[in-house]
Amino acid sequence: MTQEPYGDPASLLRSVLADLARAAYGLLGHYADAEDAVQNGCFKLVMAWPRVAGLATAGEQRAYLIRIVANEALQILRDPHRRWEHLGAEAAERAVTHHSFEDEIQAKEDLRLVWKAIGDMPDMRRDVVLLRAAGYEYRDIAARLGVNVSTVRSHISDARKQLSRTLPRGWEGA
Amino acid sequence: MSTGNSAGERGDVLDWLYERGKRRAAQVPGFDAERLMGRARAARDAGAVDFWSVLSPVERSHFESAAQVREFPPGTALMREGEQAAEVMVLRVGWTKVVLDEDGQERVIAERGPGDLVGEGGTEPGNVRTASVIALGRVQALVMTTASYAAFIDEYPNVPDLVKRQTHERRTGRPERP
Repeated sequence: MTQEPYGDPASLLRSVLADLARAAYGLLGHYADAEDAVQNGCFKLVMAWPRVAGLATAGEQRAYLIRIVANEALQILRDPHRRWEHLGAEAAERAVTHHSFEDEIQAKEDLRLVWKAIGDMPDMRRDVVLLRAAGYEYRDIAARLGVNVSTVRSHISDARKQLSRTLPRGWEGA
Repeated sequence: MSTGNSAGERGDVLDWLYERGKRRAAQVPGFDAERLMGRARAARDAGAVDFWSVLSPVERSHFESAAQVREFPPGTALMREGEQAAEVMVLRVGWTKVVLDEDGQERVIAERGPGDLVGEGGTEPGNVRTASVIALGRVQALVMTTASYAAFIDEYPNVPDLVKRQTHERRTGRPERP
């Protein structure tokens, strides 16, 4: 069921916008940040349209856009000036009340290392891991990126090993 | 504790992120596709930062001879959203803001100053302005018609590519990913 490629960036965007919002919000958990990630993705889509228009299938075009948006979200997560008040919001989101502020700082620092490690991964592994971190199942990641579920599984497994080296004490932020 | 990680046990950060992402999926905000596209197109058409600096001396003198110098008092529009785009401009003196009208609210999407190209939408015939450009102070610009710009690009075909790349890198701080 190969679908003809989209003829203009607006129809591509409309067909995947709900998914882009889910990926961006899943990673960022903040309305304005998620909108920025999607907006930056749209800008790149418009700038790169002559190339994206030439992709063979609609699926490849959708995969291009979700990868771009997930990576834009990663850029925001890695921004050292990212709004500090998110810290409190994220703590509330986890419904954690018994953790001290110091624990929160430690968790924040650990996450910073994690996002950096993810940012340094090769393209496809990074994209798989970003969608996983946004809350997608393996089969959904596979469908969105146009790869096999087994490919997703092996990238996740490699990423786990890599991340356990990044946080040798384990993850205690939750 | 209901987090699944009992005290002393090492948690897996990817599992934790996944669970968090899944929880967030219940509250995903809705975004407006038309608005996102409008801003993206306007940002593209907001032109190129430092256009002048990517031109060679020969290209600059050609551009100057084919363009007309125009002055804009503070607060006046160099171009207006919705109008036919029949010209491109290079700012020589003064600063401008690039603004969108979003349901009567002004949204500033960029500021452009000396050396910057504005109104890139005017590089192709038949385009409509996707944003307005307003002079913040006294502005002097080199104005070129779409036809003259086409002739200019014909003669120096690598100019738009240079400009595109520069615009992209300025915006994102890194080269475009393939």
